[in-house]
Amino acid sequence: MLFSTLVFFIFLAVSLIIYYLTPPRYRSYSLLAVSIFFYIYSGPAFIFFIAGMTLLNYFIGIALGSSTTDKMHKIILISGICINIGALVFFKYWNFLIVNIAELFSLFHVDLSYWQLNLLIPLGLSYYVFQFIGYLIDIYWKHQKAEKKFLHFSLFIMFFPKIPVGPIERARNFLPQLKHNIFFEYENLSEGGKRIVWGLFKKLVVADRIAIYQSAVMSTIDQQSATTIIFASVLYTFQVYADFSGYTDIALGTARLFGYNLMENFQRPFLSKNIGEFWRRWHISLSSWVNDYVFTPLAFKKRKWGIWGVYVSLVISFAIIGIWHGPTWNYLLFGLLQALALIYEYTTRRFRKRMSKRIPPALYNNMSILLMFLYISFCLIIFRTETFGQAFGIIKAMFTHSGTFFYNKPSTLFFILIGCSVMLLYDIQAEFKLLRFSAFSNKRWIVQQVSYALLIIYILLAGVFDGGQFIYLAF
Amino acid sequence: MNSLNKKESKTHIFIKLFSFLAILFLLDLAIGNVLRYYYFRQTSGLYYRTTYALDSTNADMLIFGASTANHHYVPVRFEDRLQLSCYNTGRDGNSIFYSFAVLQSILKRHKPRMVILDIYDREFKKDEKNYDRLSSLLPYYDKHPEIRPIVQLKGPYEKLKMFSKIYPFNSMLFTIWAGNSEFNKGRENIPDESGYVPLTSNWKGTLIIDSSSAKYETDTTMISVFRSFIKECVSKNIALYIFVSPKFVRFEKRDITLDVVEKIADEFKIPFYNFANDPFFLGQKDLYYDNSHLNAKGAEIFTDMVIDKIEKEK
Repeated sequence: MLFSTLVFFIFLAVSLIIYYLTPPRYRSYSLLAVSIFFYIYSGPAFIFFIAGMTLLNYFIGIALGSSTTDKMHKIILISGICINIGALVFFKYWNFLIVNIAELFSLFHVDLSYWQLNLLIPLGLSYYVFQFIGYLIDIYWKHQKAEKKFLHFSLFIMFFPKIPVGPIERARNFLPQLKHNIFFEYENLSEGGKRIVWGLFKKLVVADRIAIYQSAVMSTIDQQSATTIIFASVLYTFQVYADFSGYTDIALGTARLFGYNLMENFQRPFLSKNIGEFWRRWHISLSSWVNDYVFTPLAFKKRKWGIWGVYVSLVISFAIIGIWHGPTWNYLLFGLLQALALIYEYTTRRFRKRMSKRIPPALYNNMSILLMFLYISFCLIIFRTETFGQAFGIIKAMFTHSGTFFYNKPSTLFFILIGCSVMLLYDIQAEFKLLRFSAFSNKRWIVQQVSYALLIIYILLAGVFDGGQFIYLAF
Repeated sequence: MNSLNKKESKTHIFIKLFSFLAILFLLDLAIGNVLRYYYFRQTSGLYYRTTYALDSTNADMLIFGASTANHHYVPVRFEDRLQLSCYNTGRDGNSIFYSFAVLQSILKRHKPRMVILDIYDREFKKDEKNYDRLSSLLPYYDKHPEIRPIVQLKGPYEKLKMFSKIYPFNSMLFTIWAGNSEFNKGRENIPDESGYVPLTSNWKGTLIIDSSSAKYETDTTMISVFRSFIKECVSKNIALYIFVSPKFVRFEKRDITLDVVEKIADEFKIPFYNFANDPFFLGQKDLYYDNSHLNAKGAEIFTDMVIDKIEKEK
């Protein structure tokens, strides 16, 4: 059930009615019921798997919280992590591992390819496995108490808005919210609704419109000019952002309709001045997870190595971020390129600071934003392709292909231009507060409502309602 | 007192929600009607041709199909040689769904004497896009009840979506604007000969050898609509001819769609001519606009061949 489809909104309306008709103290039960229904509707095969994993981690959490010796504590934690990583590796990375191992063994004429399995990946697996692991480590570090109420723990994992594509929620943010009764409040409905409308705008008007152009260019890449391929690559950066942050907006807005606040996943990443800042603003729930549970402990452990300890920790952390997206070498390379950029930024930080003092701040900042954007756009070429060969083919075509600029239909470009401009201006206004007047957060109720109504009208006019998919649903 | 406040608060919430929905409804109604007005005010271009086909054409002979129909059959040539008025209803990117919907609309008010249906290879291949493209018929949904069952194939919620007056004109904003602007006056000079749109340049690519497996899942709904198209013509005593246009592609394997078409055409005793892999067209690169479409010169030659076949049938 895609978040941008009418069937989702029918489901959402019915769920909200059921939820708010239930007495406040029983609302968690009705929320869990609709979440289970959502999961079954999206793919009934794995409901028992997620239920089993939830039950298992619930008991591991309890055992971890009640264990008395350090040794036991550690054994339980390691077992919990192994179970979760094992499930993730089995469903998501098994074939990747087998293919690569088989290739190695084929040198000795040993055929292992029959070990490959035809497996479907359970919906949201990468997201909830990281939630489980984070929860267990938090208990181990005593940052979080083991949740005793199974209902609350189940909702922490299975709350439907965050099931398909996150955010990778933290127990300390979400579990306390479940302890309070939720009432029918205008604030929740209004703020949730607004967030959903923005999400739909990003997804249907920007991402899916760019996808039409992308598909036309990429399916005929051999015939496209260098300018067209460069333009399409830059647009892809906007597409991924609009697609993923649009989805997140719908997820956060939906959660808010039920009275819950999920963690933010994006904070205007394209206004970052360097890659480090970019990763503090992009897919925050994943990058902060890796920062908290991998980078910081690792860097601390390797502190004797000095700066090399930091570099090694960076490489490992970003390798995890890369490979988390999927079982391909391209994702790994994508992650390593981020680590490389961060190492560069770390080693040149003093030099760049000196430079910034010599160049007018406006020029320096804008140049930094532009460079960061170009670097991310370049890395996304690797991210979007399945093999190094394909990525190299696109990069080569950027320098060698001649011909005229392909614009598909003029209306497609118009819609893309307007969509990207509105999205960027909204981010710029939120970041820098350049304008005093704001239609969407105006204090006058009527101005704000008319603005949102017009935004919905524009979605109806310019949104792509056929054939859309969420890019991050594949992860 | 507390519960009273809560009750008031709920009333307040519903008033606000209702007000927002009222604003939205009014804006949708107003803008939707403006779009409708300007959509049907166009006097040339793609949308106009569909409107003309559905609402106005009284031609003796009609051509149906996708882009290969639209760019390959020259009405003026049919008129000269067969002495029948002719209109080309073909539309780029569409399929048998579109053709059947247009045929039904026309048959409600006019019975043509002859119909040509152009089918392309892999037309009946199961593909969501065939359903997505039914959007081109949404502006006619309200006033043409006969096309509703076809449009509703798009999805189970199409009826609900049509509650919005803007939705039928989704993604058409700039085209409607262009169709009503001064720019459109320039477009009057673009050849638009009874629906037929000639393609002018020459293909520079090489002959494509298609040796890919022709095995694919066929769409049973499309096949059933194709049958309905034939039945409709047969029941109304309309002379129907089915053609497959030439392509600058050598197909090394038989195509399932064309096999199905041949079988059904045979069943209904409908003349069927397949110009795919036609040696004459495979050797004439200068007759093509791209590897799937003939240019104007190629279309004229092909039309003459089609007329020869029809005359032979007579």
